[in-house]
Amino acid sequence: MTARRTGRPLVPAYLSTGGVATPRRGSLERLSVLAATDQPVPQGLPAAQHALLDVLGDGSLTVVESAALLRLPVSAIRVLAAELTDRGLVTSRPPVPAAEPPDPDLLKRVADGLRALKH
Amino acid sequence: MIEIPDLVLGCLAAGTLAAFALGGALLRLRRRGARQAGEIASLTAALDTERRELDLGRAELADARTERARTAAAVAAEVVHLARQRVPAAATASAHPHVKVPGPLGAAIDGTPLGDALDEAQAAVLTAMAQERKRVDAAARAGMRGATRDIQAGLYRLQDVLRGLQRQYDDPELAEVLFALDHENEQSLRRAQVTAVVCGAWVGLAREESHLVEAVTGGQARLVGYHRVKVHHHLEAGTALVSHAVEPVAIIVAELLDNALRHSAPDTDVVVNLERVPHGVAVTVDDYGVGMAADERARAQRMVGGTEPILLSELGDPPRMGLAAIGQLTRRFDLSVDLSSPSPYGGVRAVLLIRNHLLSHIDPAEQPPAAATPRPTRAAVQIPEQRTAHARGAAPAEPAAGARTLTHETGAPVGAAAHAPAGHDAHDGREDAPGAPAPSAGHDADRAGDDLGPAADAGPRQDIDDRDLRDDRDLRDAPAPRDARAAVDAESVSSAPGDASEGDALPQRRRRNRSTDAGGAPSAPAAPARTPEEAAAALGALQAGTAAARSEADTEGSDPR
Repeated sequence: MTARRTGRPLVPAYLSTGGVATPRRGSLERLSVLAATDQPVPQGLPAAQHALLDVLGDGSLTVVESAALLRLPVSAIRVLAAELTDRGLVTSRPPVPAAEPPDPDLLKRVADGLRALKH
Repeated sequence: MIEIPDLVLGCLAAGTLAAFALGGALLRLRRRGARQAGEIASLTAALDTERRELDLGRAELADARTERARTAAAVAAEVVHLARQRVPAAATASAHPHVKVPGPLGAAIDGTPLGDALDEAQAAVLTAMAQERKRVDAAARAGMRGATRDIQAGLYRLQDVLRGLQRQYDDPELAEVLFALDHENEQSLRRAQVTAVVCGAWVGLAREESHLVEAVTGGQARLVGYHRVKVHHHLEAGTALVSHAVEPVAIIVAELLDNALRHSAPDTDVVVNLERVPHGVAVTVDDYGVGMAADERARAQRMVGGTEPILLSELGDPPRMGLAAIGQLTRRFDLSVDLSSPSPYGGVRAVLLIRNHLLSHIDPAEQPPAAATPRPTRAAVQIPEQRTAHARGAAPAEPAAGARTLTHETGAPVGAAAHAPAGHDAHDGREDAPGAPAPSAGHDADRAGDDLGPAADAGPRQDIDDRDLRDDRDLRDAPAPRDARAAVDAESVSSAPGDASEGDALPQRRRRNRSTDAGGAPSAPAAPARTPEEAAAALGALQAGTAAARSEADTEGSDPR
């Protein structure tokens, strides 16, 4: 897996977006889920956008997870994701609400059932 | 008694005698007088001659005196000329070689002891001046070095704060300001660092082994016009610099790019090419500017060669530090920069040669280069080879993603071939992963993973992918694939690496694939894609990575380990 790097990063974050931090669409939140579409990747895609596509790869990631994987600030990911969305290469989804805690009764019943199976 | 006549006679006789005596004496006297007169005449003549000679000598003496006075005046004039003209001119010429140093006033003086002495005096003045200048310059450099080192350290601290803020606050307006501040800070840092380097200081920052393209991009980011720089990365992925060469290369590239950006029109690009050459790697910087005149070029080449000692007083006002800093770095780190050949575009072509002993290799799968670095062009050309022999080398920027093979949220099948440009991640035996229909179980599990919370996405999904891949292999091994498209993809992808021409050079894994393809069902259980231990290790690493990433996102950048 990715080795953590401890040193000072050589490439500053602003280079990934060319200094832009205001995304063209403002709907992305930290926990918005990004997923790549199956559009072919066009030639000449900026490197950072390409890298984001690669990270999304075969699944979906939240904005903040992509940011951590790419070692970029969230604001940069927002810009990149917004541009990729405009190109139709990425779809975004609003954050998934936190799951409700499971019903203790249900858990208890499941546990009982399991115990019953064991005996 | 005596008679009177006798007496008279006697008197007369006496008188006569006396007269005779007197006459004789008179005669003698007269003769002597004549002799003396002759002597006097001769003496007078001699005296006249002497006097004449004396006059002549006096005249000569006066001539000689005026002559001597004239010579003295000439020497004085030469000395004054030396002091007022020749020495100042020579002093100026030591800094500005085009200034002509006048010779002595009289051409006749050349080669005489006086001429030599004057030349020697001039040379001695110059030597003393050079020594003094060196001493003063060294003092100035020491002072600057101390000051810039402190400034540099302060700017690094500022950079840390700014980057911390960038991670912490993602309000777009604030983030944009932070980006701008970070950029300003990088520029100041570059100035301070270059000044320090020119003054003989160390580069001021120890870096770890890094990708070469990161050093180049990092240098690019330090400039005002970094938008105009286009980096073409023609090296194999993972080409890296040893730790002590990283910062020097970044500085040199930044200075070369700065020159290029400064001397070309603002609407033109500056092109950087990273290419492998027999002795190492060449970083070529081309601009479309006006270029340099031959003497400028020669001077620049001398400066970047680092063979001449650098004097601050020769850098001009404002001092042009860039080339001088390059010279210092090339000398200290055994790099070489060439500015001597004109660019084919009419501008300047600068070539930085990084020799093999400064190069190393980083596994790009384990430690991908920064997201903003350009992707290597070579990987795209060499997909079949990269997938297997250089599988890890072929995945430059894919820390977490496997091959883009499987389903997305939509559940649509995605062919691997369609998405396999540069970084088809092929390690762990997944190189033959084809496009596949989304198996319903995987899809549901996918959803379930989402429901658990977005942060849990990466871990479970990866797990599912692996299962899908294995399902998929089973699918292919089965005589009748459920999905025709999957079968087609499987064929096309797995046949590409299976070319006979490359068979010898291939690792074990490839043969296993081929046997899988050829052998069909019976060989499938015998050659699992990975052992359970491997799978466990991979998944463990994946979980650790996800946890690390999540914790980094939560705690804003602190390293969990």
